[in-house]
Amino acid sequence: MSSADGKAEYAGLVKAAATGDRGAMEALLVRSQEVAYRFSLLVCGHPEDAEDVMQDALIKTYQHVATISEPEAFRTWLYSTVRNACLMKRRRRVGEPSNFVSVERGIETSEGTVHVDVADPSRAIDQRLIDGWVDGRLRQALKRLPASYRMIVVMREIEGLSTKEVAAIAGVSEANVKTRLHRARLMLRKQLEHV
Amino acid sequence: MSAPPNTCKEVLSHISGYLDGELDAMACDAIDRHCLECASCAALVNGLRETVGLCRQAATAPLPDAVRQRARESVRRLLDRHAKES
Repeated sequence: MSSADGKAEYAGLVKAAATGDRGAMEALLVRSQEVAYRFSLLVCGHPEDAEDVMQDALIKTYQHVATISEPEAFRTWLYSTVRNACLMKRRRRVGEPSNFVSVERGIETSEGTVHVDVADPSRAIDQRLIDGWVDGRLRQALKRLPASYRMIVVMREIEGLSTKEVAAIAGVSEANVKTRLHRARLMLRKQLEHV
Repeated sequence: MSAPPNTCKEVLSHISGYLDGELDAMACDAIDRHCLECASCAALVNGLRETVGLCRQAATAPLPDAVRQRARESVRRLLDRHAKES
């Protein structure tokens, strides 16, 4: 599917969902979560954040569709929203893995506060799911790219967004996107030779 | 474009445009000709083509069934809840 086709398909779903088409709304919301999952894992590299970012994308998309005035701009809005959710998640949790329960705070239960220091399995995306998804070599190579380059290459090459859309999401010029994509491809090629 | 890329440096700077089909026929021919005589540029073009191909394969990889299933369930719960409320 070309970038333009993908954008038009999103716009079509948005228009239908805004008129009350439940099937279109369902498809749009599932897609928004899929975008959030891929972005969390491939760009941010934090599988433990994926569940929360997916939930955030679900709620925000549902609220946004009712008020949207430019369906063609939806895809750019979605990726910007997911990107911001990932960044906020990181800022909030610097130094604290999100799938760990705080030793100090513990968990509030009906029988009082339980203090634990183990991973909370209900919040983590199973590593086995990730391993079986995208080519392991590609995931390893992507991890080794600087974050700003990784985001550009994932959005352009994997997500299929246009240069213009990526520029709007990343907040840089289209020329800058092209330069970074060129460098990112060279870096990625080099990394793939070593993984 | 002013002059078709002929040197290794020029090929390198135009390689992304070449892979993305953004160059005109004359520039593409110049890169093809250069690569016939320059093994390192040919290897670079092939390597980048493979890299881009690997990324595009990832684009079509469906998400794990369990993730899709959980996403669908979350969506249905949300829509059902809002349908009851309205």
